[in-house]
Amino acid sequence: MFEFSVLILIPLLSAGVCYYLKNFRLQYSISLFVSAIHLLLSLVIFIGWYKTDLPFFFSTDSLSKLFLLVLSNIYFWVVLVSFSYLKRPVTPNSEEGKKYYFLLLNFYLFANTAAILSNHYGMYWVAAEGTTLSVAPLIYYYRNEEALEAMWKYLFLVSIGIAFAFIGILFLTLSAKGTPLEGQQLFFSEFVKNARTLNPVWLKASFIFIFVGLSTKIGIAPMHSADVDATSNSPSPIAALMSGSLRITALLGVMRIFQIVQPTSTYEFAKTILIIGGLLSLLFAFIFMFKVNNYKRMLAYSSIEHLGIITLGIGIGGLAFVGAMYHIIYNSLNKVVLFFTAGNIHYKYKTREVDGVSSVLNILPWSGWLLLISFLAISAIPPFGIFFSELMIFEGMLFSDKPWILAVTMFLLLFIFINMGKTLFQMLYRKNENENLPVEKERFGIIHFATIVLLILLIAIAVASPNILHENIVNISKDFGIKL
Amino acid sequence: MQNVLSILFCLSLFYLAVTSRVKAYVSVLRFQGILLTVLLVFPFINHFSVYAFILPATLFVVKVILIPRYINKIILDLDIKRMIEPSIQPFTFQLLVIFSMIVIFVASNILSKSTSIETIPFASGFSAIAVGIFVIIFRKKLIIHVAGFLVLENGIFLFGTAVASELPMMIEIGTLLDVFVVVFLMGIAMNKISSTLSGFDVTALGRLKD
Amino acid sequence: MIQGIISILIILLLAPMFAGLVNKLKAIFTGRIGAPTIQPYYDLKRLLRKETINADSSSFISAISPVINFVSVVIAAAMLPIGLARPVISFEGDIILFAYVLGLARFFQILAAMDIGSSFEGMGAARETTFAVFAEPIFFFTLGSIAFMSGLTSIYDIYHSIRLDNVTYIIFIIVCSTSAFILAVTECSRMPVDDPNTHLELTMIHEVMILDNSGIDLFLYQYSSYIKLFIYAILETSFFYPFGVKSYTVGIIIFVVVIAVLSITLAVVETITSRFKMKNIPQYLLFATAIGILNLLIYTFTK
Repeated sequence: MFEFSVLILIPLLSAGVCYYLKNFRLQYSISLFVSAIHLLLSLVIFIGWYKTDLPFFFSTDSLSKLFLLVLSNIYFWVVLVSFSYLKRPVTPNSEEGKKYYFLLLNFYLFANTAAILSNHYGMYWVAAEGTTLSVAPLIYYYRNEEALEAMWKYLFLVSIGIAFAFIGILFLTLSAKGTPLEGQQLFFSEFVKNARTLNPVWLKASFIFIFVGLSTKIGIAPMHSADVDATSNSPSPIAALMSGSLRITALLGVMRIFQIVQPTSTYEFAKTILIIGGLLSLLFAFIFMFKVNNYKRMLAYSSIEHLGIITLGIGIGGLAFVGAMYHIIYNSLNKVVLFFTAGNIHYKYKTREVDGVSSVLNILPWSGWLLLISFLAISAIPPFGIFFSELMIFEGMLFSDKPWILAVTMFLLLFIFINMGKTLFQMLYRKNENENLPVEKERFGIIHFATIVLLILLIAIAVASPNILHENIVNISKDFGIKL
Repeated sequence: MQNVLSILFCLSLFYLAVTSRVKAYVSVLRFQGILLTVLLVFPFINHFSVYAFILPATLFVVKVILIPRYINKIILDLDIKRMIEPSIQPFTFQLLVIFSMIVIFVASNILSKSTSIETIPFASGFSAIAVGIFVIIFRKKLIIHVAGFLVLENGIFLFGTAVASELPMMIEIGTLLDVFVVVFLMGIAMNKISSTLSGFDVTALGRLKD
Repeated sequence: MIQGIISILIILLLAPMFAGLVNKLKAIFTGRIGAPTIQPYYDLKRLLRKETINADSSSFISAISPVINFVSVVIAAAMLPIGLARPVISFEGDIILFAYVLGLARFFQILAAMDIGSSFEGMGAARETTFAVFAEPIFFFTLGSIAFMSGLTSIYDIYHSIRLDNVTYIIFIIVCSTSAFILAVTECSRMPVDDPNTHLELTMIHEVMILDNSGIDLFLYQYSSYIKLFIYAILETSFFYPFGVKSYTVGIIIFVVVIAVLSITLAVVETITSRFKMKNIPQYLLFATAIGILNLLIYTFTK
């Protein structure tokens, strides 16, 4: 009960407290405190010093432990920088948005934790709906027309996706007709145990619906458009939160059904669907990287690309699956870094267009260099983690039965790298034509601190490669029936 | 009885495909809400229990009274024009609806051979889902999009009663989709997305693109 | 056989009366006194006394088509049961004959309209064909679905086979009668589709085709259009027979009651609706077709 109250009830409680507290600094301190203990507890649970015993529809396994850690890590850093971010004066309307910022953030933590820890499809679905509802007003933080449009599109598309996922869950109950599971509650663990008895036709339908429905949230092409709009128009901490943790939570739902499908005859079919989804995402990222002229959108497409790689890795299985698990961790860390620095640039230049940004390295030396480094990190340059995880995924592709996927992926990734690099180097190095920018030395702020810590973390995890993490991922692979 | 209600449900979908008035959409939503309530009450007529009546009662209050009222209020407040502004020929739209319905009925009949499902409610629910999506795709007004989402949701309900009747919890959870609807409506009302700025249709939602 | 002959006589005699009744009721609903119910008989009588004049440009088609039109409609009328009596013409597959005899009537009317060479008639003919294309599926999907259910192909047998064993059947009947009503409205050029009272050439569909006819020819056309309206009314009433005991007297009573109700419904619909825009009519007809298709689907999959 202790872990339940810390992980799920306290965020909810603190959301309630934030509603009544008018003092902004107080709200911030409470949220930071909550996120810190949340992070601490999830770390303790992950390492295994504390055995969990969650009530109702909740439980932990290796997969949810990993995802919980990723979530609370991202969340902690986002909350940490939020205060300094919110202090910046932006549009007059966004004062309205600030009032509910921490309330919604806390609610997001509550819903997302519930989604990750749930052992029941109904519970997962409700919690996933909660995350969408809490994130949507945050996207609308700037209170301008673009933000409104982005919020509307995101909310609408994702809610249709959620409805689709619900249909998928209903199909899952249907597939259990005539098996011992009939009329039982939809516990993942029970379904995984009895997966062989499920009706394959309905299981297939269920997989498709859940995958397509949740891919609006994951941002897998061709359902990615609202996700891109939302990520590129929300304030940077929120964009980091979405890229780093919300998409992963949605991916969890797909992985759960994938786990159920795994011992059945539908497995091959599900793998094909995942591979198609992953390749399509890469293709879309590849195409849009050529014409994108908004650097936050570019980062959003980069998210699509990396989620595509992860989906591809899960679909291919074997070593690629392990790589995908690592990639989830590294990608979420890296995306947070990228969005934080992009937020700094946006604040200084007041534009999201690439053309309006120049000579970042001179005007904003800290952010500029950090952006450069994190770009290198996301493009899988060693010693950053993404290099190792992508290597693993590529190796898995090479030794799978479809090695041609590797060639396609490499080709697409190369051009994504070139185009992204071209855009970013333009921003960093081009001579400044904009005379009226106030030239003052950039002060080292908490955002830079967070960015540096995360970058170090990105290298440290990859180089040190803690045994506990490796074991956990091996356990996950075992749960998914992957022989290494 | 379930079949009869499902058929009436399908008829309301046809009406939705023909009509071009915003008000008609609201009354169809109301009608569908009543149908769903009756559908959920019906199994409990013989063995009465208070608990079983909570869900139909909620459904009735939300789907028949509150949401249609709220939509009507928004229509009045924001002075929304009464035409739905389709982006496709109505005739083509109708053909699309008929065709997809045929496909869905035939497909669900084939599927019902492998598992015992109630074909008619199943297929009607699925048709409603399809029609809801068509409404969202082929209509420009945002308030009609919300109506389309509601139709989709009603379809899920009908479909849920056909599929998961032994698992009432899933159907109860489904009511949470109404939360989205309320959020949409609040979004429309609070941001005053009215037709004055020609901003009430998706054609104006075109700023964000590559 | 006797009952069959009585049936056809009833149809021939009462058809104008039905049209008159609908018009009278409509007048009452709109707050007028209206022409007497038997006004159509006076009209027909007046037309009989008039001289027949055909256009110079017209060929023999114009001469024969009123007769063919009338005869076909009477043949169609002879296939319908009244009060559960076996009609004069009744055999396996007469449902197809019924549809195409009416089709033949329309075909000759359209030919005659074009034969005259006036642009207005041509326009009316074009419209009539356009809407006929959409109206025909309604007939086949509605009656066809019932035929399919019973497995029979004779109108008389089909109507006899309808039973009310389960609730689904009642819905079938309601649904079928709705789409048959729409069919009747279309085929007889009644209100939401066409306004029989206006003489505005631009919006007319059916009436415009007989603008240039007079005397006996016009008499035949008018008379056959009254009969046609009555035929569709009977088609509609036949859905309600299974509600009563299967005896001739009860059948007749049901017939009278349903015809009365139907005339009121027609009058109400004509009072409260306005004519559709021309481009919306196919949509309206497709709606009825959709209902028929739905019927067929549901029946096929509940069996």
